[in-house]
Amino acid sequence: MAQLSLQHLDKIYDNKVQAVYDFNMEVKDGELIVLVGPSGCGKSTTLRMIAGLEDITNGKLLLDGKDITAAPPKDRDMAMVFQNYALYGHMTVYENMAFSLTLRKEDPNVIHKKVLAAAEILDLTSQLNKKPSQLSGGQRQRVAMGRSIVRSPKLFLFDEPLSNLDAKLRSSTRREILLLHKRLGATMLYVTHDQTEALTLADRIVCMSMGHVQQIGTPLELYDTPANLFVASFIGLPPMNFFQVLVSGDHLISPYFTVTMSPEQKQLLAEYQGKHVTMGVRPENIQEGGDIPVNVSDNENLGMNTLVHGHFKTGEAESRVTCKFKGWCDYKKGDVVQVSFQKMHFFDQTTGNRIVKS
Amino acid sequence: MNDARVNKLETADDKYVRVDRMRYEKNKLSSTLAILAIVWNALFFVSIYKSDVGVWYYSILVGASIVYNLLFMMIVFLISEGSKSYKINYSYVAIVVGALQFVRIFIYPRLAHAAQTQATGEIVQVMKTPQYVRVVVYLIASGICLIASAVIGIQKCTALKKHMGQMQGSKA
Repeated sequence: MAQLSLQHLDKIYDNKVQAVYDFNMEVKDGELIVLVGPSGCGKSTTLRMIAGLEDITNGKLLLDGKDITAAPPKDRDMAMVFQNYALYGHMTVYENMAFSLTLRKEDPNVIHKKVLAAAEILDLTSQLNKKPSQLSGGQRQRVAMGRSIVRSPKLFLFDEPLSNLDAKLRSSTRREILLLHKRLGATMLYVTHDQTEALTLADRIVCMSMGHVQQIGTPLELYDTPANLFVASFIGLPPMNFFQVLVSGDHLISPYFTVTMSPEQKQLLAEYQGKHVTMGVRPENIQEGGDIPVNVSDNENLGMNTLVHGHFKTGEAESRVTCKFKGWCDYKKGDVVQVSFQKMHFFDQTTGNRIVKS
Repeated sequence: MNDARVNKLETADDKYVRVDRMRYEKNKLSSTLAILAIVWNALFFVSIYKSDVGVWYYSILVGASIVYNLLFMMIVFLISEGSKSYKINYSYVAIVVGALQFVRIFIYPRLAHAAQTQATGEIVQVMKTPQYVRVVVYLIASGICLIASAVIGIQKCTALKKHMGQMQGSKA
């Protein structure tokens, strides 16, 4: 197990493109950190810098207090699991899992014990004599993980390991990774663009955009108190609805609706009286029943929930909205549903940051 | 006895693990020895027909020798692959083919070494002693490799079979 400290990490490529800006984080022993963000946000680059596959332009990387900023990958005692598994096709599962230890010239009997133990953990014992081409995607990914486990590294790095799997397999393999983390108690860094993976796996999430860290926090913190508009829009499925509202007295006024503020909201937005703010409402925080009319465009039944896509309308102006209602609904295009907002988030229009009590 | 040597003594657990490894590891030693037998035979094959003394080799035997060498290479390659995956029958075939390598010493090399012919007005040996020794060494090396491959293969196959039997028994 290991503690990792990332201090002011920058990555600037030779063509002067900066992929990561001033990345700071302390990873605690046994923690599972998920780096999440859209494609090109710098999350994989950060992971590769930690693994030593990319040079660190500025900053320091400490593992258990030891500076490994310039250490070659082989000396970092980390194991990386890639999206495309990176298994050797001509070797059996056993040989693939034993390969890194064979290169280190470890005792063959010790290698054997370690491989069998890892195979047992990953339920691969019956597959050890097979070639990767004879395995399913999920099994191949388990082999890739097994190859990491046998090394007993200080740190596990996962670079979008589930992206090549279908939805059902992704869900079961995700659970296996979670169980593995609990069983090994290992420190893990996991990169994904899938927020479901991030929310279900992480002890803490690092949300990134355009090379900048937007927020670091527990899944609940990111969901409940997003630091800015980007995090609010990225975390949550379907994404949060945003409206421009005017803070006026006890009311929030938009062209489509007027909402009366609670005393807490009034206190929170005291400095914004007479100004516009961005109001965010998650689809699941919009409930049927209320005085705000939504014109239904279409209806998606998901079994337990129904997603209702619609819009607010005033004259020519329109604003799209997505609502997530409990149960099975049968709204049709053109229906009008009366709704109310249960929980609202407020963001400064200039900075995009969450408005917090001063 | 120093510590390093003490550590090398095999415990019962080590022995169990060593045999258990065979369930997943290929019998590379037997396989490599079989391939080595092909290499030695190839050296024999390219050396045997070198002669400066006319047409002594031009008989039906040279054709048979070429065909046997081709068959040998093919069969021993199959032995190499078979013994790699602990198939004991291939090891038995290896013993036969290995023994034949020793028999071959008494066919071409011996006949050619004993034969004399007339060249440039003189009576000379068809195969001089240095060449004879060389090709005999190649054949012996090839035969030894094959028999060693077979013995190791049989030992490992038997041990693995016994181990698997014990595992089946303990599961039942």
